[in-house]
Amino acid sequence: MNKHLKILKIFAGSSVSAQMEYRANFIVQMISSLVAFVGALLGLSVLFGDDAGLGGWSLLEAQVLVGVFLLLEGLTEVLVYPNVRKIAEMVRTGTMDFTLLKPIDSQFSVSSRNVNVFAFPNVLLGFGLMVYALIKLGNVSWTGILLSIPMLLSALTIIYCICFILITTAFWFVKVENIIELFWGFFRAGQFPITAFPAGGARILFTYIVPIAFITTVPAQALIGKISLESVLASLGIASVLFVASRLFWKFALKSYTSASS
Amino acid sequence: MIHVQDLQKHYTVSEKEAGFLGSLRAFVRPKTKVVKAVDGVSFDIAAGERVGFLGANGAGKTTTLKMLSGLLHPTGGSVQVAGFTPFQRKTDFLKKITLVMGQKQQLIWDLPAQDSFLVNQAIFEIGDLEFKATLKEFTEILELDGILKKQVRKLSLGERMKCELAAALLHRPKVLFLDEPTIGLDVNMQVRIREFIAEYNRRFEATVILTSHYMADVTALCERIIVVEKGQIVLDGGIDSLMQRAQNKIIKLEFSHLIPRAQLERYGTVQELDGLSAQILIPRAQASQVASRLLGELPIADVTIEDPPIESIIGEIMSEARVNQQNQRIDLEMMEAKP
Ligand SMILES: Nc1ncnc2c1ncn2[C@@H]1O[C@H](COP(=O)(O)OP(=O)(O)O)[C@@H](O)[C@H]1O
Ligand SMILES: [Mg+2]
Repeated sequence: MNKHLKILKIFAGSSVSAQMEYRANFIVQMISSLVAFVGALLGLSVLFGDDAGLGGWSLLEAQVLVGVFLLLEGLTEVLVYPNVRKIAEMVRTGTMDFTLLKPIDSQFSVSSRNVNVFAFPNVLLGFGLMVYALIKLGNVSWTGILLSIPMLLSALTIIYCICFILITTAFWFVKVENIIELFWGFFRAGQFPITAFPAGGARILFTYIVPIAFITTVPAQALIGKISLESVLASLGIASVLFVASRLFWKFALKSYTSASS
Repeated sequence: MIHVQDLQKHYTVSEKEAGFLGSLRAFVRPKTKVVKAVDGVSFDIAAGERVGFLGANGAGKTTTLKMLSGLLHPTGGSVQVAGFTPFQRKTDFLKKITLVMGQKQQLIWDLPAQDSFLVNQAIFEIGDLEFKATLKEFTEILELDGILKKQVRKLSLGERMKCELAAALLHRPKVLFLDEPTIGLDVNMQVRIREFIAEYNRRFEATVILTSHYMADVTALCERIIVVEKGQIVLDGGIDSLMQRAQNKIIKLEFSHLIPRAQLERYGTVQELDGLSAQILIPRAQASQVASRLLGELPIADVTIEDPPIESIIGEIMSEARVNQQNQRIDLEMMEAKP
């Protein structure tokens, strides 16, 4: 464990210093973060024009949810996305060889090598909106706040596992970056509470097939103190199952690694 | 140290015809073809040996090294390296070996090589003292001073290769798999890299397996040569024993006055005739006989009989093997053609 923590620190350090080589990116990224933030808030105010509520959520509650959405989107951009993008590249160019020849768990190594510091403002914006809306809501439940931490971690795990499993198909279909875009498309649905979707098709899709509900709705429910025990257990269960699945799938995929020729 | 028995690797590749219709056809009914990259090779390598794999492009050298280092599962046969089965990639195994590929790089592109070294230090759990000592040693032999702090993308190809080698050897592996480590480098740099590998082999008593299609790499560095051709070993032997297989000898002559070329051609293949000195190729068995005839019949000032350079011996054996393989194939095809 100690070894892995030390390696995480070194990976993060080297990844950050490599990005400092391209500081100009930072400004571009800042601007695009702000645009996304304003867009999300405008979207909300249109939907809640007459403060009627949406799927049983008030405007402030929905703002907590958008905060959660932006926070997780930011964390994904900082922690998950830069790594999964590299995995496809490593398979294509054959530099995965070097990862496989290191005495370290290969999934851990390919999943933790890079952080995108430039996306960090997104995390702050999301977190800020979440806290702001919660304070305005008043009477926060401390159990809810405590529960929201495992729910957010669980949500991040679910995102990571889905992205990771999708990108692992790179071992068979060499160009797969687009498949991640598909997931992002679904992920955008997480800006809205699951109950805002009509019961039936979409709601089932976003709960069981692409578990968007557990990514944003459930952590937000925890924060506003409206979470059920079933949701907590289901979230933890889905995250664990997906995590085990991602490991098994990775092991299986490595068997068909043929190491691009040189 | 290394034990390989009837090792095989067959790749299944999909064949695509040209053009849109071809792609469509390939999509509907994919046609696959099996490439026998490594087709039944066996050899044993003792600890501390320096072995060179020679062979044309596509002969199966890289594939063999990838199986030895554990990157690829063999299709058939068995491999043992330092008592391990490579493709299980056990931690203890990975700490004992390294693979350097001239055409792939592990160094982080945007950072100085030094930073990549630190990553490897953590992953291989190298103690600070040992790390410093090794790095100091490498810096000395490879002359890394001043290049470790520059971003890798700003290094020349040769400088980068030196850093790649250092990064790959920081954990002081006992078995080195080097796949074309000198590819693309100028002659000077090739020599430096060779010297470093030889020095590492001496200091750490490491086993070295090197592939190259530059004959000079192998002859300068290796005491034993394995020649592969279309996935099979056509030759395996010490440099010394290869000398014995040379079919020709070279007779070098100094004349006391000029003689016409035609006169010399009666004795053997004239390789060189330049004023008063000449060089002719004579079948091995007749070398001494021809030499004495030359002495008697021509105005000779000096004569020496030499073995041809190892490069041309290997070249000879390789082209001979190619012809043999082709003949075998023709025999097989004829057998298959019979009902
Ligand atoms: N990943 C791969 N997939 C399919 N075929 C491959 C792959 N790698 C190598 N080959 C084929 O296997 C043969 C041997 O290749 P290789 O081992 O790279 O030869 P060498 O290193 O001697 O040049 C070649 O015909 C090559 O095209
Ligand atoms: Mg090769």
